[in-house]
Amino acid sequence: MVDVNNLNVKFGEKHVVHDVSFTVDKGEIIGLFGISGAGKTTIVRVLTCQIEKKHWTGNVMVTGLSPEKKSNHSKILSNIGYVPQLELLNLYFELDPMVNVEVFTSTYGMNKKRAKETAEELFKILDIPRDTWKKRVEKMSGGEKKRLSMAIGLIHNPDVLFLDEPTTGVDASKRYDILSYLKKLNQKLNTTMFIITHDLESALICDKVAILKDGRLLEFDTSQNLISSLPSEGLIARFTIEDLNEKLIAFIKKFPSIRRIIRVGNEAIEVLMENFEENLPKLIEYMVDNNITITSMSKDIATFRRYFQIRIQKEEEEESSLKEVKVIRK
Amino acid sequence: MYLGGLIRKEFGRIRSDKRTLILLFVIPVILIFVFGLTTGGGLTKFFTSAIITLDDMPTYDNFPSNSSEYDDTFISIMQYNTSSWGFHSYYNATDLEEYDNAFQNCYDILRSGDIDIIIVLPRNFSESVENKTNPVLIYHIDASDPAAITAIEVAIQEPIALFRAETDMIANFTIMVPYLEFDVPFWESAILNYALPLILPIIILGTTMNLTSLSIVSEGPLPRMLITPTAKREIILSKLIANSVIMLLQSTEIFVLTAFFGLYSLGSLFYFFLVLIMIGFSGICIGLFISALSPTEQSANQMYLIMFIIIILFSGSILPLGDIEGGMQIFMNMLPLSNAVPLITDITLKGLPLNLTSLFWLNLSSSIYVILAYIIYMFKKLEV
Repeated sequence: MVDVNNLNVKFGEKHVVHDVSFTVDKGEIIGLFGISGAGKTTIVRVLTCQIEKKHWTGNVMVTGLSPEKKSNHSKILSNIGYVPQLELLNLYFELDPMVNVEVFTSTYGMNKKRAKETAEELFKILDIPRDTWKKRVEKMSGGEKKRLSMAIGLIHNPDVLFLDEPTTGVDASKRYDILSYLKKLNQKLNTTMFIITHDLESALICDKVAILKDGRLLEFDTSQNLISSLPSEGLIARFTIEDLNEKLIAFIKKFPSIRRIIRVGNEAIEVLMENFEENLPKLIEYMVDNNITITSMSKDIATFRRYFQIRIQKEEEEESSLKEVKVIRK
Repeated sequence: MYLGGLIRKEFGRIRSDKRTLILLFVIPVILIFVFGLTTGGGLTKFFTSAIITLDDMPTYDNFPSNSSEYDDTFISIMQYNTSSWGFHSYYNATDLEEYDNAFQNCYDILRSGDIDIIIVLPRNFSESVENKTNPVLIYHIDASDPAAITAIEVAIQEPIALFRAETDMIANFTIMVPYLEFDVPFWESAILNYALPLILPIIILGTTMNLTSLSIVSEGPLPRMLITPTAKREIILSKLIANSVIMLLQSTEIFVLTAFFGLYSLGSLFYFFLVLIMIGFSGICIGLFISALSPTEQSANQMYLIMFIIIILFSGSILPLGDIEGGMQIFMNMLPLSNAVPLITDITLKGLPLNLTSLFWLNLSSSIYVILAYIIYMFKKLEV
C-alpha cells in the first residue's frame, strides 16, 4: 500500500530525513514515533504530496502511485485521508457536521446521497450522537469534535489514512477511547493507518511501529518483536530501594549480567539483564549483601514506552561515543 | 471541478458570519438614510473653461467687423494669466446659427467633463467696456459637482480682476447664470443625489472588501482542503462566485433603496445598476487580494484599512485626478473609486451612456487584483 525506499528530504542545507525505507501492507496500522524534529511529519508530508519533488529523493509509492509526478497528486489525494492534529484545521466550526461532510465529500466528487450514508455509518461507529448532527460543530464536545474529524478523514473511504497526533490534547481517560475507535475503524473498513504521535501508548493498536530520531529510521517492526529484542526477551525487574541515588545505581550496574538500569522514580529502578530467571536471585543476593535496602520487587515484560526509552538512550550513547572517537582521532 | 460543495460551504460560512452580513446589508440602509436627510461637503479644484464670444463691436477702425479688442483680452487672460483656470477652447460666433453650433460643441465638452464652465461673452461686451458700463458675463456651469459651483463663482473673480486691471476698468461685471447644467432638479432629493456618486461606491467597496478580506486568511481548514483533490484555483473561484452572489443581493438592495429615497437619473437605470455591480465586484477582488496577501487576520484588517483610506484619498474627488499624469494616473486608475465616481455621475446627472474607458479601467483593476490574489495564493506555503 505504501512503499518508501531510500527517502531523503533536504531543505537547502538542512538534511531532515536520511535514507528512510519501509513497506506497509493493506490494513496495517503504523505508528510513527519519535521526539520532536525526528522527521515523522516530513515523511508524511512527502506521502501526502505536500512537499515538492525538488526537496526529496528516493522511491516512494502511495497506493501504487508515486508522488514524484504531479499528475499523480490528484489520484493519490483521492486515495488518502488526513486527520490533522487540531480540529480547527479540519472542521468548519460554524457549520454543522453534515455540512462539513458535504464540503469534503464534494471535493472527492461523491454524490450527496452516498456521502450522507457514509457519514451516518461513520458517525454510528464513532458514537457521534445523532442530536449533534445538525448542530454547529462549535457546540460539540472536544471528544465529539475529535471523532468527527476522524470521520471526515475517512468519509471518502480512503485506502490510507494519516493521523497527526490523534490523542494529543485528549485527557488520559479519553485517549484509550480514541485508540479503540481507530482500531474499530481499521477492523471494519480495513483502512491502512499512519499515526504520527508522541503518545507511546498508541503503539497498543499499531501493527508495526517506526522509531525515528534526527531523520533516521532506527527501527521498523512490530512492538512485540522490538520488545523481544531486549535482553531476556524484554523481562524486567522493578526494584524500590531506600535512599536510592546515582552512586548506588552505578554500584548495582557493576553486577555482571546487567545490561541496563533505568531510573523510573525517586526510589525505583528497572533492570534489564541476561539470563533473567537465573540471574535475578543472584542480583537480589548481591544487593542485600551490600546493605542495599530493597523495599519491593516485581518482575514484568517491558512496555513499548520502556523499549522506546531504551532505544533512544542507546542511540544517544552511541552518538556520543562516536563523537568521542572522532575527537580522539583528531 | 468540485465547485458545488465548495460554494455551498462558502454560503454556509457567510451566513454564519453575522457581523459581516450586518455590515453588508444594514450599513447601506443607515448611511443612505442619513445621506438622504443631511447635507454634503465641499471641494476645491482647478477649473477649465471654454469661451464663446459674440462680441462684434469694432472698437478701432483697423479691426475686422466681427472682431473686437476686449473679448480677446479676456480670452487671453483666461488662456495665459490666471492661476486657477485652465483653458480648453474658444469660439467666435457672429450669428445665431454659429452660436448654436458653438454652444452645442461646448455643451458636449462640458458633458464629457473636459471643461467645468462655458463662458459666453455677449454681443456688446467690448462696447460695455469701452463705454465704462457694466459688461455682462454669461456662464454655464457643470453642476453635477455641487461643491464646484461655489468654487467656480469664487474662481471667476480672478480673471475678472485681472481684466479690470488690464483695461483700467472701474465698472463691475454683471454675471448671469441662465441655469445650471446637469444639476439635480429642485423637485428631486438634491442632497441624496449629489452624495450618491461618491457615497454609494464607498459603501459598496467598503462592505464588499470587508466581506472577502478575511475569507482566505481566517479559514482554518483551507490548507487541509489541499490534501484533497481540490485545486487552489477552485478555492479562489468558489470564493469569488459565492461572494459575488452576496454582492449582487447587496447591489439590488442598494438600488431599490436609492430608488425609494428619490434616485434621480437622467441616464439608464440598468447602467446605474451595472456600475454598482462592477464596483461591488471590484471590492470583492481587492478583498481577496488582501486576504491572500495577509499572513494573519490582524494584518488583513490593517491592510484593509490602509487600502480603503488610499482608495478614498485617490478617488479623484479629493485630489483632482485629471491634473495628475503618468504613473500616478495609472495608479489612480487602478483604484476603483477614481473610475466609479465619474461613472455614476455621468449616468445619473449627465445622462451619458457607460463610459467604456472608466469601465475598462474598473474591470481591468478588478481582474488584476483577483489574478494577483490567485498568484499569491498559488505561491503561499500552506502545510497542515
